[in-house]
Amino acid sequence: MLQYNFSLALNSLKERPGLTFLMVLTIAVGLGLFTTIQTISYYSSDIPIQHKSQNIYLVTMDHRETSADPIERPTQMPDTTYKDVMNLINAPVPGVSYTINWNSYGVINRDADTETAVRSEILVTDAAFFNMFETPFLYGGGWSSEADEKGDAVIVISRAMNDRLFGGIDSVGQTIRVNTDTLTVVGVTKDWNITRRFYDRTYAPGYIHDFFVPTGYAINSDIPRNENFDCWETEKEARFEFENDKWTQLINSECGWMRLWAAIPEGQLEGYESHLMRYIDPQKQLGRFPRDIKIVVDNINEQIEFVAGRNGYINMFQMIAQLFFAVCLLNAIGIMLAKFIRRTKEVSLRRALGARKSVIIQQYVMEVVMVGILGGILGVIIAYFGLWGMLNIRLYAVDYTITAESIAHQYQLNPLLIGQAFLTSVACTLVVSLYPIWRICNIPPASQLKSA
Amino acid sequence: MEIKPILLALKRSKFLAALLVIQIAFTMAVVSNSVFISVSTLKEWNLPSGIPHDDIIRVTPRFYDRSKSVTAAVNNDLKRLQEMPGVLSVTPTSGSPFASENVTEVYLTSEEEAQEYQTVIYDGTEHFLNTLQLELLEGRAFTAADMIYDSEEKNSEVMLSEDMAKKLFPDSTAIGKTVWLSKGSDPVQVVGVYGNFMTGETLNYYGKSYQSILRARSTWSHEQEPQYLIRMEPGIAESKLEDVASVFYQEQGRYLSQYERLKRVQKRMYDGRGSRALTFLVISAVLVFITAFGIAGLTSFQVNQRRKQIGTRRALGARKSDILKYFLTENSIISLVGLVLGLIVTLVMTFELSNIEQENLLDIGLFIGIALLFWAINIIATLVPAMRAANISPATVTRGA
Repeated sequence: MLQYNFSLALNSLKERPGLTFLMVLTIAVGLGLFTTIQTISYYSSDIPIQHKSQNIYLVTMDHRETSADPIERPTQMPDTTYKDVMNLINAPVPGVSYTINWNSYGVINRDADTETAVRSEILVTDAAFFNMFETPFLYGGGWSSEADEKGDAVIVISRAMNDRLFGGIDSVGQTIRVNTDTLTVVGVTKDWNITRRFYDRTYAPGYIHDFFVPTGYAINSDIPRNENFDCWETEKEARFEFENDKWTQLINSECGWMRLWAAIPEGQLEGYESHLMRYIDPQKQLGRFPRDIKIVVDNINEQIEFVAGRNGYINMFQMIAQLFFAVCLLNAIGIMLAKFIRRTKEVSLRRALGARKSVIIQQYVMEVVMVGILGGILGVIIAYFGLWGMLNIRLYAVDYTITAESIAHQYQLNPLLIGQAFLTSVACTLVVSLYPIWRICNIPPASQLKSA
Repeated sequence: MEIKPILLALKRSKFLAALLVIQIAFTMAVVSNSVFISVSTLKEWNLPSGIPHDDIIRVTPRFYDRSKSVTAAVNNDLKRLQEMPGVLSVTPTSGSPFASENVTEVYLTSEEEAQEYQTVIYDGTEHFLNTLQLELLEGRAFTAADMIYDSEEKNSEVMLSEDMAKKLFPDSTAIGKTVWLSKGSDPVQVVGVYGNFMTGETLNYYGKSYQSILRARSTWSHEQEPQYLIRMEPGIAESKLEDVASVFYQEQGRYLSQYERLKRVQKRMYDGRGSRALTFLVISAVLVFITAFGIAGLTSFQVNQRRKQIGTRRALGARKSDILKYFLTENSIISLVGLVLGLIVTLVMTFELSNIEQENLLDIGLFIGIALLFWAINIIATLVPAMRAANISPATVTRGA
């Protein structure tokens, strides 16, 4: 019976191929757009280093003056002051490790004169960074923690820059000029597919730093600090000079500008938070932290979810795509109902000959599932082209200042997304066809036979 | 034309009618919101630039070696550029057309609560107007004698763009008037008015694209390095781009962060918005098509279902036009209900989207326009199967039953 029903369903699909195609196409177009947007939003909330992201926290505390604006969202928390970073790192908590970073930039050249110089962002960070965030390496690796302290002139560069400056060879041990200094390459990173640059709190999609240098070196040669300094009124004027100047004043100031990340073992978060509270309390006596104590210790997951949830453009698109899909489904049931009603005679005859309702239902469910699967296949193909289109629109919109390679991974379907698309397609078609199927299986036997 | 039989017929196929109504309502909601988003995105989009942007090259060099003198470099650059064949005019400047986002406020009085006027202030040499090929409309243009090269000295005279002059002094000439460049200080005299040119995205967003002020000033340092605008002979800018760049490479201790034609800067200014609006419009167009096909499909199904009734009506004396009218009226009733429901769905959705976008997107006039257009498309979609219905011969009814 199953086989017979299957062949009946197949025949009925073939019966009016134009209408069947229209139905499948409608579902596919709706599903295609829906999957395209799903994919983009999936990657925008993609969480890096998932196996331990739960345990890596950004530590922020509100060190600002009483007159500063209130904090409504965790992203408004200021960066951390040099004083607090140093105090916290120098008072270790068992099991907790730290890494810090800030942004800089410089002009980078292989030799003094051989190549055309490039200006690039540089991340200033410490040895712990590469371990905590598991930066993948092609050659060499990160630097040692002694290099941080001594201020060794070493640098980690990206695969792309290694190609550009050294033609892709193993460049570990070679030298690079940053502004007027000479630095030794200790590592070349592999392409690091984290979808958002979370580690410096910019959450910019697609762009990962090409250059990493140790904190000690950055401090010794006083390379620029490309940060927004969140200062007290007393330093409001000076903060415009902190970028290039006044290091001593900066590190003694109440200006927040560094990111402090902490790896806190499972279950120790509460303990760590009270450790922070205990740290801030005596600081108040020194005239610091004048506001009510507010600390936010959020892990990577919490931060990415928050940022992705506030992505207005994608949310807007998602809303449109959902309604679009709904319209397509409505359209499809209209066509399906029309097709089914045409066959009332046939059903009535089968029922008269003794077929049970369940058999009829089985036949039509089979047909609907087939439509759903066909819609799914075509929909995934459409989504593939949709994503290709969106990638190109994105490149066009930024005037090709980024390469397709660097963001292509955010526009790629994966088995999970494809599976989701198929499931959505079959489930939605089944749901919307409930009414047409119910109509057709309730036709009384032999009722339609008299006039034929 | 009787409406009652149509309503009775609709009652018989409630589900199909309801389906169409919901489909039309949702389509309207998606289409009108997409259009709302596009319209708000494309506000003030692609306005005339006012300058020959094809022939002007913009170069942004930046020093990394802070021991080098910026002033000396600027002098050398200008000398080398002026000697280069194909260069018509060149000026260092504090900002570039299409990319000036450093919007400031100026005032007409020195009082504490003076009204603010948004503008972009450009510093450049006496060649600024010539480089951008801007016309002198009133007063006089700056000459070499007006130039200030000492950073301690302040400018006492400015020129205004046409729109700026109109905005500040709507009733009389701007020449000889006083403007305060910051709150309560820096009073300057207006000496001339020049033709409009596009400043950048920020003012463009506020609908004040052309409000600018020009000072005859060329004081540069490591903190404020100049950009260069270079007008080439018509048509050769693209091919000379690398040559121009190589002039700048002759100076040591710096790199070129950008060199491109202003045309490209202009493209970049509009592209993000343009492509976003286009995406939404394409989506709505596809949806309108899908809905139109759906309506055509369903009407054609109903025509098939009612062949006998149509044949009977024809045999009883109904004209072809009566049959046509029947289907069109039926569709219009459904469309109308759908559009009213669509208005409600649209309002809800627009409210949500406006929250996301933090801007009021609703435009009822636009909604009505879209609704009328959509109705017209629906009528066309019904017309095709309805014509077929009208062509059913009266004899059909006598055959089968």
